[in-house]
Amino acid sequence: MTLQLLINGISLGSVYALVAVGFALIFNILKFSNFSHGGLMSVTAYIGYVASIFLVRYIHALPLFVATLLAAALGGGLLALVVERVAFRRLRESGSSVIYYFISSITMGILMENSITIFASSNFYSYPPFFPAWTIRLFGALTIAVPDLLTLCFSASALVILLVVLFRTKIGLAIRCTSFDTGTAKLMGMDPNRVVAAAFFASGVMGGVAGVFLGINYTLYPQLGQLIVKGFVASVIGGLGSISGALIGAVLLGVVEIILIDLVGAGWSPVFIFVIMLIFLLLRPRGISGLIVQEKA
Amino acid sequence: MEYLLSTLTFTGIALIGVLGTYMVTGLTGLFSFGQAAFLAIGAYVSAVLFKNLGLPLPLAALAAVLVGLAAGLLVGLPTVRLRRDYISLVTFGFGEAIIAVLNNTTNITGGAMGLSGVPQHTSFPLVFISVVVCLAVVVSYKNSKYGRQCLALRNDELAAKSMGINVERLKLITFLIASVMTSFAGVLYVFYTTYVEPGAFGWVVSAEWMIIVFVGGVNSLTGAVVSTVLLTGLPEFLRFASEWRIAIYCVIVLLILNFRPSGMFGQHEISLSFLRRLVRKGAKAP
Repeated sequence: MTLQLLINGISLGSVYALVAVGFALIFNILKFSNFSHGGLMSVTAYIGYVASIFLVRYIHALPLFVATLLAAALGGGLLALVVERVAFRRLRESGSSVIYYFISSITMGILMENSITIFASSNFYSYPPFFPAWTIRLFGALTIAVPDLLTLCFSASALVILLVVLFRTKIGLAIRCTSFDTGTAKLMGMDPNRVVAAAFFASGVMGGVAGVFLGINYTLYPQLGQLIVKGFVASVIGGLGSISGALIGAVLLGVVEIILIDLVGAGWSPVFIFVIMLIFLLLRPRGISGLIVQEKA
Repeated sequence: MEYLLSTLTFTGIALIGVLGTYMVTGLTGLFSFGQAAFLAIGAYVSAVLFKNLGLPLPLAALAAVLVGLAAGLLVGLPTVRLRRDYISLVTFGFGEAIIAVLNNTTNITGGAMGLSGVPQHTSFPLVFISVVVCLAVVVSYKNSKYGRQCLALRNDELAAKSMGINVERLKLITFLIASVMTSFAGVLYVFYTTYVEPGAFGWVVSAEWMIIVFVGGVNSLTGAVVSTVLLTGLPEFLRFASEWRIAIYCVIVLLILNFRPSGMFGQHEISLSFLRRLVRKGAKAP
């Protein structure tokens, strides 16, 4: 039974990880909590839905699922570029204080969420079924739902691709440099506009994939993106600004949440999450990774 | 006329919430996603005490404000030592926890169905007087030693600390005043709408209050007041374009942030006496 919970928790945590990583990427560079990421996930979930509705006539099952993911990821990447241009480029150029980014991102998120309500109404939609509801039995008592397993596989591979891009390519190096010290990176000839745009694109792609998974798990509605807060919680627990910390934090959050739902029910779990979070922050105020972006001293 | 009056009443109640947010976010530079939860605490505690236990209204209101204070202590004490991002996270978690509690204590609070059948006791004059009192509190706080210390703290916490300011105590005091004020706004709210449900107090409400503070200008109290009137009134008057109004509102906010980042009023303040005259004139006009 506990093993079963662990597996479910890791599957949920992998979706949270996608959310948290998109969130942490932007925090890394611009040092603010990007709440527009939630609105972006809502929009991409709808983009994926539209794509799947068009494609369902031609392809089925796995190809359809992959095509939906690709469409949402691409849409998310492009949308993130637009968001960066509209909401943050000017603030960056005028050297505004971090709190303005924060407000700008919240407003942008609400704007995107509201645009969905305008164009798609606030009804609930659900994706066409990609896979029959199979379950795999392991060792007799252990059951794994196939969709859960695929969620785990696909989000893990998206995360691996992101890590490879970040740590093995030139643009990834540029992103890491800029997040370490924007001024020096600029002196070394990196164009901050391009680097920030690249980071936003990557975060948008992650948001797109996450949006589809959230849409499958919770059905589609405009406020879907408010699950961004799970990513926020996960990346704070992991240590803000650390990608690997965000990953660990997200999986941990997923497992704890599933266990809490089993113990106290879904209604009370936010209360316990709050208490656990409070104790955690008191004991280890820098997050799991222990590495934290220093504010100017 | 009645419609206008009810819009004004709601604006007044929102204004008290925004004043609390102004103290926490504008003066001290902390982001609290849990301010709306204090509104919920004030509303639910007073309504339940009044309706279920038959306590007299002033006593119920007092109890609600005291519970708000206690909750402020509970959240404030451990968080003032943390980094700013963590403060926003903890206050956020606190807000969600309060909503979860309200949703799950169905036999007392009515759960997600909401609490209905609260008699209407709040009137516009009462709200107006409360707004003036709260304004006076915030203005004198801003101009006092504490307010100046808050500004120092907002701009550079380390420098403020090294000048001998007790940063943690200062944050806690500001947070507590704000939570008391917001809880009181909750009391006014529930006895005006006669119905409350947990969904009305999510973090989005707190975020909206912060947006209002920033649109007005983070350094200007006058700005906060004017933008509350504009931004909570505006959606009401844009109601003919009901679907588009929030989108329009967001676009306005984005434009202001992009092209006038210091907010509408920047550093400027209209003096207290002028403000009072202005508010009175506004209330008397039809």
